[in-house]
Amino acid sequence: MTPAPDPEQAQAAIEYCYAQGWSDGLPLVPASQPLVEKFLAATSRSPDEVIGELEQVGRNCTVYLAAVNAAMAGCLPEYFPVVLAAFDALMRERAARGGGWQSTSGPAPMIVVNGPVRHELGFNTAGGAFGPGFRPNATVARAIGLIVRNAFGIRPHVLEQATQGLPGRWSICLAENEEESPWPPFAVDGGLAPGTSAVSATLLRTCEFVDNRHTPDPEHVLADVADTISRTGSLIFRDTSAGVVFCPEHAQLLADAGYTKADVQAWLMEHCGRTGADLRRAGKNGLRGIARFADADTSGDDTFTRILPSPRHVPIVVAGARNAAISMVVRVFGEWSGTAVEVST
Amino acid sequence: MPYPILDPTGTTATATRGHQGSRALHAPRRRDLRGATVGLLVNTKQNAAPFLDEVGRLLIAEHGATGTMARTKVNFAAPAPDDLVKEMTTGCDVIITGIGDCGSCSASAVADGIAFEAAGLPAAAICSDAFRVTADAMAELRGAPGYRYATTPHPVAVLTPDQVKQRAAQVLDDVMNLLTEPE
Repeated sequence: MTPAPDPEQAQAAIEYCYAQGWSDGLPLVPASQPLVEKFLAATSRSPDEVIGELEQVGRNCTVYLAAVNAAMAGCLPEYFPVVLAAFDALMRERAARGGGWQSTSGPAPMIVVNGPVRHELGFNTAGGAFGPGFRPNATVARAIGLIVRNAFGIRPHVLEQATQGLPGRWSICLAENEEESPWPPFAVDGGLAPGTSAVSATLLRTCEFVDNRHTPDPEHVLADVADTISRTGSLIFRDTSAGVVFCPEHAQLLADAGYTKADVQAWLMEHCGRTGADLRRAGKNGLRGIARFADADTSGDDTFTRILPSPRHVPIVVAGARNAAISMVVRVFGEWSGTAVEVST
Repeated sequence: MPYPILDPTGTTATATRGHQGSRALHAPRRRDLRGATVGLLVNTKQNAAPFLDEVGRLLIAEHGATGTMARTKVNFAAPAPDDLVKEMTTGCDVIITGIGDCGSCSASAVADGIAFEAAGLPAAAICSDAFRVTADAMAELRGAPGYRYATTPHPVAVLTPDQVKQRAAQVLDDVMNLLTEPE
């Protein structure tokens, strides 16, 4: 029998990592050369390949640095291709290539995994989709956070200026519940063939639940979702983007009534918005460039202003358990690239 | 211990590029602003344009500057592109940049100030005082630790037009101190 590891040495190594300022607040797995080599062996990409660059701070991330951070996050080596695909997907987001990581809004990546890789690596595809409790989901998301902190050097209170941040930052990695979804996988919306192991990603401002379990009417469900999407607090620009992570029950109810994803998107684009009077009440009835601000009094204005400009601004994912009709509106920071990245080893 | 614990930052390896390690940059100062063209680099944040316009107006009215050249950054989060720096360096004698009023734009306002200093122009970046730490961190990244800039109290975005003018007047002495070195 292998003797149990020496806890005092493990503790010393963990404290060493804290002392270097590498940790996101939780203990890190101390990375060693043999461990990181296992990560690098899980991909055919060169360790020196630059996978992301943040020009304004003069920093970049290589495959090697991603491997060190993924190891420290607690990933297994075989997760590494998913980490790389997730990072590639995020780097397709304009906000993630620009000032998003430094933003006062403190956005959280939302990573969506599709295809056979979900089961091959043991991702949670069912209940508790937003976590916690499952190593692949938790550590892939955490690896991205450590890359931003360590490779890009964006640390809280210094170059990272989140006012409050948001729950779920560095921990949202959903594996879509394709088995119980009535619709094609999310990666298909991102341009890949069904059955492809793939990762999509965008940045979120927050997640808001829609609990609606006592109606058989699909329009009731959609109206409830639309009300959440349309709240004025989240409207800061002319256009907005809000996805929906439907639970299987809501998705099936909609599909049984004949709704495709495109139908749901079209319904929400049509019904999400506010009247001039509502916007005025919140001081958001004017536009300066693309930003909303308080303009002259329009309190009698019942013109309905729509806020979702295109289907790409309403990404739809199906995740969670089949046990209750609870879905999640996910508030997108900026806009989703509309593309998915294939997981390649 | 047979193996060292690996560094996840890459800062001792090849990943750090460009800006670190260069000398602190500081363009020669003018004695005063008489006859100077003042470049106003507006970052599109709420109230940035009227704020900088008013600073420019006061520098003309009270300090003898002859005119202003205003330009707007397309992307407030990133430092000004090289061609914009070149255009303003050619057309202006001193630069005001701001208002640094968010996580990325405060840092980039300071980065812009340092870029103009490197091009030989005295610059005054103006940031909201809530973003000092991130502005200082960017100065350090750009090889100019301790780079001086002007601050105005947070918040800026909610100020009325009259309040913006008051703020511009309040920061004027600091801007002059940053741009000039009277004998």
